[in-house]
Amino acid sequence: MRRGLAVYAVFAYAFLHVPLLILAVFSFNSSRFAVWQGFSLQWYRAVAADGNLIEASVNSLVIAIAATIAATVLGTLAAYGLWKRSSAWLSGSMYLSLVTPEIVTGASLLALFQWVFRFAHLRLGMHTVILAHAGFSLAYVVVVVLARLRSFDRTLEEAALDLGATEFGAFYRVTLPYLTPAIAAAAMLAFTVSIDDYVITSLVAGVDSQTLPMVIYAMARRGVNPALNAISTLVVFGLGLLIMLSERLRRT
Amino acid sequence: MKLRNAFVAPAALLTAITMLAPLAIIVVYGLLTRGAYGGVELPWTIENFTGIWNPVYGLIFLRSFWIAAVATALCLVLGFPLAMFIARSGARKNLYLSLVILPFWTSFLIRTYAWMFLLRDTGIVNTSLQALRIIREPLPLLYNDGAVILGLVYGFLPFMVLPLYASLERLDRSLLEAAADLGARPLRVLVSVTLPLCAPGIRAGAILVFVPCLGTYLTSDLLGGSKTVLIGNLVQNQFTASRDWPFGAALSLALMAIAMVLLFAARNRGEELL
Amino acid sequence: MNVTMNRRTFLIGAAAVAACSRGPRLNVFNWSDYVAPDTIPNFEREFGLRVRYSTYESVPEMLAKVMSGNSGWDVIFPSAEYIQPMRDMGLLAPLRHDLLPNLSALDPQFQKPPWDPNLEWSVPYMHGATGIVYQKSLGWSPGSWSDLWDARLAGKLTMLDDPPEVFAACLKTLGYSLNSSDSAELRAAQQRAIAQKPLVRAYLNAEVRDQLVSGDVGAAQAWAVTAAQAIAAASERSDGVSVSKLAFAFPAEGFPRYADNVAILRESGRMEAAHHFINYLLRPRVAAAIVETTRTATCNGAALEFLPEALRSDPVLYPPPDVLGRGEWFTPQSAAGQRLRDRLWTEIKT
Repeated sequence: MRRGLAVYAVFAYAFLHVPLLILAVFSFNSSRFAVWQGFSLQWYRAVAADGNLIEASVNSLVIAIAATIAATVLGTLAAYGLWKRSSAWLSGSMYLSLVTPEIVTGASLLALFQWVFRFAHLRLGMHTVILAHAGFSLAYVVVVVLARLRSFDRTLEEAALDLGATEFGAFYRVTLPYLTPAIAAAAMLAFTVSIDDYVITSLVAGVDSQTLPMVIYAMARRGVNPALNAISTLVVFGLGLLIMLSERLRRT
Repeated sequence: MKLRNAFVAPAALLTAITMLAPLAIIVVYGLLTRGAYGGVELPWTIENFTGIWNPVYGLIFLRSFWIAAVATALCLVLGFPLAMFIARSGARKNLYLSLVILPFWTSFLIRTYAWMFLLRDTGIVNTSLQALRIIREPLPLLYNDGAVILGLVYGFLPFMVLPLYASLERLDRSLLEAAADLGARPLRVLVSVTLPLCAPGIRAGAILVFVPCLGTYLTSDLLGGSKTVLIGNLVQNQFTASRDWPFGAALSLALMAIAMVLLFAARNRGEELL
Repeated sequence: MNVTMNRRTFLIGAAAVAACSRGPRLNVFNWSDYVAPDTIPNFEREFGLRVRYSTYESVPEMLAKVMSGNSGWDVIFPSAEYIQPMRDMGLLAPLRHDLLPNLSALDPQFQKPPWDPNLEWSVPYMHGATGIVYQKSLGWSPGSWSDLWDARLAGKLTMLDDPPEVFAACLKTLGYSLNSSDSAELRAAQQRAIAQKPLVRAYLNAEVRDQLVSGDVGAAQAWAVTAAQAIAAASERSDGVSVSKLAFAFPAEGFPRYADNVAILRESGRMEAAHHFINYLLRPRVAAAIVETTRTATCNGAALEFLPEALRSDPVLYPPPDVLGRGEWFTPQSAAGQRLRDRLWTEIKT
């Protein structure tokens, strides 16, 4: 049984990783077609020279960082609040947020923005995307932090209060340090979800807020393209590095 | 309690703006009529909701269910042995777990594109099979339901493996040993002891895979060749090309209702997420 | 070493772009592959304006973004049959001819087009027809729409992911007008489309070009511009003559003609810059440069003399008048007609 499982695991891991490896290999192919014709960095050079793409990547990063900060801070505080005293409607909304298909979230946000824009002189742009991303990341943060809180000993906080700490002090000095790994994990999750989002972003983005997934999707729709392989490899590599880095940080 | 309320307030505001208000607008739109070139206008009507009760859309819902169910089942069958392997791998557990999580962290869009690259007629799968003389003509691997299911399984497998692993890890090994001591063969132990004990994990994994698969849009769009309309594509279409917001709103609410019913039915007692 | 260089260039480029991102830009939304690589940079240099250039694959995609009236786009390129509805929706800005001296460069047949006789709202840009592009290796030549129902094409056929185009092909095989909004005729056309579905590999627009070149697709319903680009990409020179693996046919039963026009959105706050851009595109040399790289058929008559003979006489882009005579322009649909077509299209796709 042990041996059988190990063999199976090899195939399973191959299934998960080989497609991405093949993508990466062919991003160095000098020809457009699936036949290897020599090593070349031309696609990477094309990617580096594409102003549109670079702008989209920068946008994606800015949005992800802003949304992650907002979602993590608000979400951690909310999780703590829910842990102290639960709130049916807030929990219910979180649930709703996780259950709603992305297309519905996106379209409903667009409807809201269109409606608001009739009164305010605004238009779709980076701010609408950041707001949308923070909104849908919030539930993920709450779930992760709340799970960690569930295993926290309430009496520790009570002891701090008995010793004269304020409510906030107890939270800050006692509970928060315990939560740090969960907060870090939640932030990672929120960041990844934001960087990768296509459906919601495509609906609420404005003229100045093209993101990387939007560019990737437009290219993918037009068919296979080695430049897209190059972009994919860069993204996977970049995100992979980020994750390994955060794992290292988490361990220390 | 004042602190607690202060803590909760900003998140509550964000949720109200990005979740509840939009949803309210969607409900209202569902009851209005489509404007001549798009947009919404009066009169109030329930035609959008009654309009869903139509064999054409029923077929779309059924097909979406079918594809999501097959993808979920495949994820379960493929993911369970992998989760078992990781749970039993002792010291290397974290490494193996990271190897599963790593693809999950990278872009879903890119992972879908990877299959476009592999499966097309001049892609590597076909050229290899032709080179090995297993087939003469390239197989039409792309642009069909099978490709969509493959894309979904590939995208959501980690979602299944993680809860399964969590369940398996918490398993009391002594129970399995007891069953073996009582004379049960390994297969019997698996079916009668392991699987039932993992039920919460299986349930969680199934929900985490099935619900997103039901509303999938990207996979069927890129790998399905625009030939099949699933619920996700249909809704997206109403909000963009067809410009029929009221009908799109009605469909969205129907889809959400289904998802909520499923979640409610699969709830774990005493193991709430939130 | 090279990889680090690329990463560093990437970062420097990002910083530079971020710094330059301030300041108003002219936002242009166009079809993909409709300008030459230096068209926009030359315009930016000459007029000292920055342009944000983005592309779409279908008019509904563009309309969805633009319909709200505050999308942020300035210049768009709608197809002819959308000019009147967009005007009725109040989306377009009236054009100032005093800022467009190059209008006279337009080909005579496009100076007073049926959809905008006085060119108040739009300026014709590129035109073409929809037909059939196919691999010569098929061994037979699909010359009419009904040939696309031939079982020999099973799994190697693509149709456009564009309801008006698919309906047009089906209506033509039945002998009806491609602009029909008659319920019975449309339903009959729908039945034809459903009958064809098992043969169809995928519904693709310009994306089909690469698949034609790589040989994945045997025959495709395609726009003339996509066809011309594919034919050029799939050709080799032998004995000084260019021979292509692909060929194009103007279907015998009749075919749609399309024209893409430049227009300015009413919401635009950069009217003058937008006009300068349109005037720039009307320059014969600029138009000719675009045609040379994109292989489109320009509505700019004065540009033709700057084109190489091969392009000027390309039968796909500039067919002879007797062939063109079989073509029919798309006209706007009534709201009811549009709804019926939308519903029928969803049923086809299911």
